[in-house]
Amino acid sequence: MTDYFTITVALLAGAGLFLPLLQVFRVRNENLAGYVLALILAAAMALIGLFTLYPSTPSWAGSLLTSDQLGGLFALVTVGVTLAVTIVSFDFQKSTSNPVYYSLLAFTALGMVLLAYSKDLLMLFVSWELMSLPTYVLAGFDKKLRSNEASVKYAIIGAMSSAVILYAISLAYGLTGSTQISAVVAGFTSNPSALAGVATLLFVAGFGFKMSIVPFHMWIPDAYEGAPTTISTLLAAATKKAGFIAAIRVLLAITTLYAVTKSPLFTMANVFAVLAVLTMTVGNISALTQKSMTRLLAYSSIAQAGYMLIGFVAFANAPGSTAATLGLTGTVFHVINHAVMKGAAFLAAALVILQLKRADLGAYNGLGKRMPITAFTLAVAFLGLAGVPPLSGFWSKLILVLSVANGPYGWVALAAILNSAFSLGYYAWVIKRMYIDDGESTERVKEPFWFVLVFAILVGLIIGIGIFPQQVINFASNAVAGLG
Amino acid sequence: MSYVLSLLIALPLVAAPFVYLATRADRRLGIYASLAISLVVMAVAGYVFWQVYAQAPSLAPGTYLLQEKYSWISFSSFGLNYFLGVDGLSSPLLFVSALLTVLVIIGSRRLIDHHEAEYYSLIFLFEGAIMGVFTSLNLILFYIFWEIVLIPMFFFIGVWGGPRRKYAALKFIIFTFAGSTIMLLGFLYFYMGMPSPSFDIPTIQAMLQAHEIPVALEYLPLLASFIGFAVKLPLVPFHTWLPDAHVEAPSPISVLLAGVLLKMGGYGFLRVSIGLFPNASAQYAWVFLALGLFSMFYGAVAALLQKDLKKMIAFTSINHMGFVLFGAYATLISGNLLGIQGAIFQMFTHALAVGSLFMLSGYIQHQAGTREIPLLKGLGTTMPRTAAILVLGSAAAMGLPPFSSFLAEFMVIAAGISASAIAAISVLVPVITAGYFLWMIKKTVLSPAEAGHETHDMGWSDVGAFAVYLVPLVILIIASYLILTPALPVAQFLRGLP
Repeated sequence: MTDYFTITVALLAGAGLFLPLLQVFRVRNENLAGYVLALILAAAMALIGLFTLYPSTPSWAGSLLTSDQLGGLFALVTVGVTLAVTIVSFDFQKSTSNPVYYSLLAFTALGMVLLAYSKDLLMLFVSWELMSLPTYVLAGFDKKLRSNEASVKYAIIGAMSSAVILYAISLAYGLTGSTQISAVVAGFTSNPSALAGVATLLFVAGFGFKMSIVPFHMWIPDAYEGAPTTISTLLAAATKKAGFIAAIRVLLAITTLYAVTKSPLFTMANVFAVLAVLTMTVGNISALTQKSMTRLLAYSSIAQAGYMLIGFVAFANAPGSTAATLGLTGTVFHVINHAVMKGAAFLAAALVILQLKRADLGAYNGLGKRMPITAFTLAVAFLGLAGVPPLSGFWSKLILVLSVANGPYGWVALAAILNSAFSLGYYAWVIKRMYIDDGESTERVKEPFWFVLVFAILVGLIIGIGIFPQQVINFASNAVAGLG
Repeated sequence: MSYVLSLLIALPLVAAPFVYLATRADRRLGIYASLAISLVVMAVAGYVFWQVYAQAPSLAPGTYLLQEKYSWISFSSFGLNYFLGVDGLSSPLLFVSALLTVLVIIGSRRLIDHHEAEYYSLIFLFEGAIMGVFTSLNLILFYIFWEIVLIPMFFFIGVWGGPRRKYAALKFIIFTFAGSTIMLLGFLYFYMGMPSPSFDIPTIQAMLQAHEIPVALEYLPLLASFIGFAVKLPLVPFHTWLPDAHVEAPSPISVLLAGVLLKMGGYGFLRVSIGLFPNASAQYAWVFLALGLFSMFYGAVAALLQKDLKKMIAFTSINHMGFVLFGAYATLISGNLLGIQGAIFQMFTHALAVGSLFMLSGYIQHQAGTREIPLLKGLGTTMPRTAAILVLGSAAAMGLPPFSSFLAEFMVIAAGISASAIAAISVLVPVITAGYFLWMIKKTVLSPAEAGHETHDMGWSDVGAFAVYLVPLVILIIASYLILTPALPVAQFLRGLP
């Protein structure tokens, strides 16, 4: 059987290693590296698709990698976002036109693919670093003060979260004598100890930095605002999802906390519930007061992470139940939808920054006339993020809320619903600026081809998944079937 | 299986982008195309109405006609159907919505003068969503259409509205969105608690009749749906968005707001609050009755205090929609079927009566330059035709025979009295209503004209358009069976549920 997985890894690694050579050979075409990478990423998506249909773990992967659908789903989403970022970079990064930029994107993609399939803590950590290190550089790629500040801030926090994860892994290895996730989970469950509880919380914190969960979210707005907006897209729509897959693989199965403390307050479900409500509420309230679009998107991204956590609550509350299946399906489905919607919103913001050289919300006044395609994309993405039917975001939120609607975590459902309504305050505010307020000028601004292409695909996905969600839901529900 | 209802929803939705392109190309073409499409939709709605009317006498209570059902989403334990159907509650609302859409398109050609392509295509988005709300028999589908209605309305108020339109548009969307998301949560809670979960209204009602759903499950969803519907109806104290929205909205849109959007609240109370949570509804019927009564009085008294003609009509709407809630729950308490029948009738007549007044207020502002009642003087001499329509529209709104609003209010009050003797004070509401309408007519129509005011009366074609609002009301007081016969099985069914 063809070994699709090895080809994928070889392609991405090859792109990362050899693209910088284009600079050595002084190739004239400024976007050549980008074109090559886009083709490779598209091929990688196709290969991952085939691998998901015909899974066969290569022998070299040993006990480090799985071949399940969940991994395939996350790999497809993250590589897809990287592809969208690469395509718009043809226009966005034209001025710098540096092949190294695309090489770093290739390494990030490779890291995310490996992470999606990791079933060993060491593999997970290595791919985590492979994914993160290039993004530290990318965040500072503009070589402007703000960009550099964002990069340094992000790198320090990133290093810290890596250290936290590594410490948790070392504790896990010390306690169970294995780095296999399944063995660690089994060891924690059969032999709960205070240290196992500490390790669990360290995992929550370490992954929480990437997942942008309150209170580990402080770096997000600064990093997203300072980094080149295409890279913010990558951080919000792709690497954040990598945090989620790590959390799903490691954290979900751990039920140690309760076993250690014997306190009904200190269950995993309660921890997730509090984090979820805190994250969505802090995210939404902070978003409402922002004056800059990228910061608004950053906080909205934090809020969305809160919704995704609801599935964790449902699962931790009653593993194996109908509600748990619903909840996890909702989480994974929302991961897909959020990647698309937030990708669309961030890229629209990127185009506004590129063409109008402004990131403040005032730039969006009258945008409906100046950049109609961009404004429409942003409006659809925002309505989707707010959960307005019949867009894709509605369904995933519906399933998430449904999973906790009737039971001890009804208050989480209520918080999610109220947050959704509240969030429409700032989403509708921007839509109002774009279509109802008058801008400084009504002159048309050029919307470059590559951006428009990506917008069309993303808007098509938001509306298409909204009207015909069945297939994507099937994918998500099959992907989580093995976890229940 | 019939496809009429899908056609009713799809026709306006599919037409919307074409109307946009047509109006972009040529203004007249766009308006005529809009008119033609809306007439076709009205014809389809008329067919649906007639089907329901014709089959009503032989219909078992609780049956829905013209059903369409397809599986939409299903995975693990979650199932969702695309499920449509009509009965005597929805068919009059479908028809009056389609009729008002035609009239709004006719009225808009003078009053809307910018962004017309967007305007007419949004009208059809609105119409399609409304048709969906009134025909959905699946709660999630119902919610989806319910929310889609908000988007065109947000733009109607925000783009074509008055000076404070931006504030009003945001206030409108946040109020109603918050209300409806809470309603959705109630549905989800209800679903997860059912022994064999379903979102289909007929399935749930069958389970209710077989007592398979624990009564304890009904309370929270009833509260949640109450919040959603009370915002739409609107019920005092959830009404504060309404005067703002009406004052700022352009007049044709006020017609849609009062004539169609508010009906969603009344429809929701009957179809969902009573239809799905009947036991809890019956237990707390007194509370709802009192709230309806309070809304009736509050709307009437607040209307008395308004100087702006349009704001006055807006408060009249609160007063009239209070009748709907009052009548519906009066039936639950007393068993007197007149309450629910009257409520359905009231929704129909209110749509036309108040619709004509809102459109008229737009004309008056357009011609006389103001809507302030004290400033409008001598309409009787300067604009005799406008004044005549104003007097007739007011008569219809205050429930004066021969307008059928009289009959609707009479039925509701009768049912209220059979529920409780105290509810007889509701008789005072029409008296107050008549009071402020007469005051308004005295100020505007019967006062002497001021010299130097250049005003133009409306043409005979416009008089004809206004006749379309008012003539059905006169017909319906004689032919009231058109509404009441199909409404009877609905009323019987809802009364029999608890």
